[in-house]
Amino acid sequence: MPESWHPVAPADSFEDDAAKVVQIGETRIAVFRLENDFFAVSDVCTHEYALLSEGFCENGKIECPLHQACFDIRTGKALDEPAEVDLPTYPTRIENGVVQLQFDAG
Amino acid sequence: MRTVIVGAGQAGRRTAELLRGLDAEREILLIGEEAEPPYDRPPLSKEILLGEKQPPGLMQRAAGAYAEQRIELLLGCRVTGIDLAARRLDADDGERVPFDTLVLATGARARRLRIPGAEDPRVLTLRSMADARALGARLRPGLRLAVAGAGLIGLEVAASATKLGCLVTVLEAADRVMARCVPEATSALLDGWHREAGVALHLSCPLLSITPGEASLRLSTGLGDIEADLLLVAIGAVPNDELARQAGLPVEDGILVDESGRTSHAQVFAAGEVARIWRPALGQHVRYETWQVAQHQPVAVAHALCGAERPYDEIPWHWTNQYGRNIQLLGAHRAGLEWIARAEGDRQTVIGLDGDARVQGAVLIDNGRDATPLRRLIASGKQMERARLRDGSVALRQLC
Repeated sequence: MPESWHPVAPADSFEDDAAKVVQIGETRIAVFRLENDFFAVSDVCTHEYALLSEGFCENGKIECPLHQACFDIRTGKALDEPAEVDLPTYPTRIENGVVQLQFDAG
Repeated sequence: MRTVIVGAGQAGRRTAELLRGLDAEREILLIGEEAEPPYDRPPLSKEILLGEKQPPGLMQRAAGAYAEQRIELLLGCRVTGIDLAARRLDADDGERVPFDTLVLATGARARRLRIPGAEDPRVLTLRSMADARALGARLRPGLRLAVAGAGLIGLEVAASATKLGCLVTVLEAADRVMARCVPEATSALLDGWHREAGVALHLSCPLLSITPGEASLRLSTGLGDIEADLLLVAIGAVPNDELARQAGLPVEDGILVDESGRTSHAQVFAAGEVARIWRPALGQHVRYETWQVAQHQPVAVAHALCGAERPYDEIPWHWTNQYGRNIQLLGAHRAGLEWIARAEGDRQTVIGLDGDARVQGAVLIDNGRDATPLRRLIASGKQMERARLRDGSVALRQLC
């Protein structure tokens, strides 16, 4: 099976507390830089449909813009209600200065 | 130790689950009058009317999920009285239910219109899942739906019904929509969305009487007569505080509680929108009819039930979704505030300043990311520079 790494953006183009979003098929993924590491999580809140990349981000946490459920960007963990299900996470790496994420469709 | 929670809505569920998280041992009994397991109400005026069966926003767990948490769930049971001295409830089936500590999470009910004709079966209110299903089942293309009240629920139903092809008329006694909780500019924005969608919106137009005819209802208003097939009355809510009053607990349009949710009786608490909560900063008790209070005030109650104080002191917050747009309302919306708009494209935040240029409230239009920095600004009481607030290129967090 071929490795399914998808380019996100140049590593030096990321801003603090702001996600880069990639869409692969039906899946939206938000990628964050925290210090010098990159983390990719689903961009969709697990409570009700809302895009987390449109939410408030701080100290490694992303807050849903609708009901303020918070998730840990490093682990995808749902930190409080109303979200009760963790976000899917995806591995990242840097190739030639470009952040990539691994995603296997299906 | 046995805690009994009366009212199996959102606040009842939250109290029970939070309590179980804090105390693995105690007996928890959650009693609900409806046959439905607990659910959150926001989807009732939107997704449920549009025909969705289990939208995720309901947060409705299967009845079995309560057994897994060792929460005893008793549905379809109406509590008829509280004997505080004997620490016992009376239920409508004749059962007597003992408790050590009691939480009243009985919520609120729709306020009724007290005008001639209001008892006709074509006059509905929206409060429960059963109400939403009954209303949803009758909405169809071409139906003439009148809505009395241009508050949050009236407008959300108007938006949903319009989407279903109904011909919607909204009657509002005040001179603008949602006058109780948004500034004039936001009323004007909402007003425009509804008129653009084809809603006939009549302001300063109280509903005076209803004449039920065979084929339709004739509604007499301040601005003439209107024919409708169905009337939804959406003129606010009334707290279900009668049990507390009958038991001799202090009640003033809601059950009076301290910041931890405790009533005047040390073993009795109130949770959610039936509670009128002491707010030291305001020097008064306040009752909130919001998802927020049902979600978060039970944190204070559950802790107090376990002997820990976690006072409820949130900045009030609620939201409405209409025509695919999200409006969030934060803090105070009293008259006399100066409203300053910040725009970033379609996203807009309107910030209410008091006479000392301190942030008191805000309206966020498709801009929920501003809620947390604004909460901090409101809590800080910091004096703001108007020019920096207006400047959309200055992130709000930089002003905290």
